Amino acid sequence: MSSDNVIEVRGLVRRYGELVALDRVDFTVRRGEIFAYLGPNGAGKTTTINILAGLLHRDAGQVSVCKFDIDREPVAVKQRIGVVPEESNLYPELTCQRNLEYLGQLYGLGRSERRGRVDELLETFDLTEKASVRFRALSRGMKRRLTVAASLVHNPEVVFFDEPTAGLDVPSARTLRELIRTINRRGTTVFLTTHNLAEAENLSDRVLILIKGKVVTEGATDEIGRQAAGAEILSVVFSAGIPVDALRAACPAVMSANITDEKWRFEVANVHQATMQIVAWAEKSGLTILKISTETPSLEEAFMAILEKNSAGSEVRR
Amino acid sequence: MSQIARALFISRKDVESYYSKPPLITWGLLFPVVLMLAVYVKNPATYLVVAPGIIGMTLLFGNTSMAAIVITWEKRSGTLQRLLLAPVTHRTIVLGKVVSAAAYGAATSTVLTLGLVVLLKMPMVHLPVFIVGLLAGAATFALLGLIIAVRVREVFEAMTLLNFFRFPILFISGVFMPLDALPAWARPIAMVSPLTHTVELLRFGVTGRSWFPTPWIPILVLATMLTISWLLAGTAFRRHANR
Repeated sequence: MSSDNVIEVRGLVRRYGELVALDRVDFTVRRGEIFAYLGPNGAGKTTTINILAGLLHRDAGQVSVCKFDIDREPVAVKQRIGVVPEESNLYPELTCQRNLEYLGQLYGLGRSERRGRVDELLETFDLTEKASVRFRALSRGMKRRLTVAASLVHNPEVVFFDEPTAGLDVPSARTLRELIRTINRRGTTVFLTTHNLAEAENLSDRVLILIKGKVVTEGATDEIGRQAAGAEILSVVFSAGIPVDALRAACPAVMSANITDEKWRFEVANVHQATMQIVAWAEKSGLTILKISTETPSLEEAFMAILEKNSAGSEVRR
Repeated sequence: MSQIARALFISRKDVESYYSKPPLITWGLLFPVVLMLAVYVKNPATYLVVAPGIIGMTLLFGNTSMAAIVITWEKRSGTLQRLLLAPVTHRTIVLGKVVSAAAYGAATSTVLTLGLVVLLKMPMVHLPVFIVGLLAGAATFALLGLIIAVRVREVFEAMTLLNFFRFPILFISGVFMPLDALPAWARPIAMVSPLTHTVELLRFGVTGRSWFPTPWIPILVLATMLTISWLLAGTAFRRHANR
């Protein structure tokens, strides 16, 4: 295992009876990055997290987390990771402070260290005033914040976030995203699964897309968009309406065109060539170009393109 | 920090969360107290025959039920998963859960015993044997409750499964009927019931007499059952806790 890799997964297989939930999955997560693990429902994301966190056994493959094999040394791995599950799983009958303190005890923190850490986390997550409030009495946003705080009580090397902002209102989701960034800036590696692709695009350094238990693509977040779309986007605002057929006839580098709010988006094979052709055609047609810029296809567009490409494939293999 | 220390933290949290609640303490005491009173009112001279049985029954029902309620509740609320994510072994979790459930059962039975000693002048001939019976029975029944509860998700499912063995053994373990009075076919079954050995140890502690010639027999049998239950609980927990 490279010293830069916090997680290494090779040939991971997990079956539920006849159903192959994970089919020879390979990936690595580098120390200090935010790694988004994406896929539609049933792709195998939560199964992967459960295996990496020691909740589920694998059927085949190698899984190393923080340099330890999760099946052979689960306690060593659990001491080094934090998990924020989709549903908050703290103790409803305990106060915020007691929840964190109890977890500090389970993670082996000494009394003074524990108290300091609990106070620090309550302050960081803006929950100091709620310290003596029972978990069940908190709002959903506060529950999520405390669940994240609980995952950090022992200063883990990696934190797994499973749909961290699902069901949160916009301000709470935004606060949580900021907290994820802050956690990462402090050196913690983040493993993120989410259905919110804008969130993944916004937060992550690298992305892996899993469909039906198989890895279909993996790479830097902006690279995935380009790879998946197979073309780049040129966005142009003209001074007046344009005859699009005439433009396409004059600009062979333009592959497709569509308009939204007076802004044309051209899918082009080569940005430089297409820009030259469009500028020349506009001059010839007596039109002024008010704005021209390139756009990378969004992660959502890339994700949809990948899904469409893979929808022709079979159902989850049986 | 050792796994045993972490198990004790789990126990302390469970006592704080569940077992120290007044309704649970009352619930654990009410039924045996009413039953004891009914026996005493009917014939004060014979209450001593059934008193050890009723203390044993309190342990059986209290401990199996509490372990079952706590495990199924934590499974449903996701807090058991929280525990599984912590750096503790499955055996540590089992130990933590069993110590707290056993402490609850031992505490309610102790309160009942003290009530009998103080109010009805119940004797206590061999206190150490009584304590051994109380603790070994409490731990064994808590483990049995956990073995069954960890396989299901609902409290009613756990209770139904538990009742399949709790009620039958109640009638063959010397609680209401002396072992001598049992039909011949029922005696071998009584010998494999942990309640029989618990009740006989409690009886020896209270009266100085038991169906067995020496208290060492039920102590050894109960120790064996405790070990087997411990091993089975570890396996059941590993297989079913996260389902």
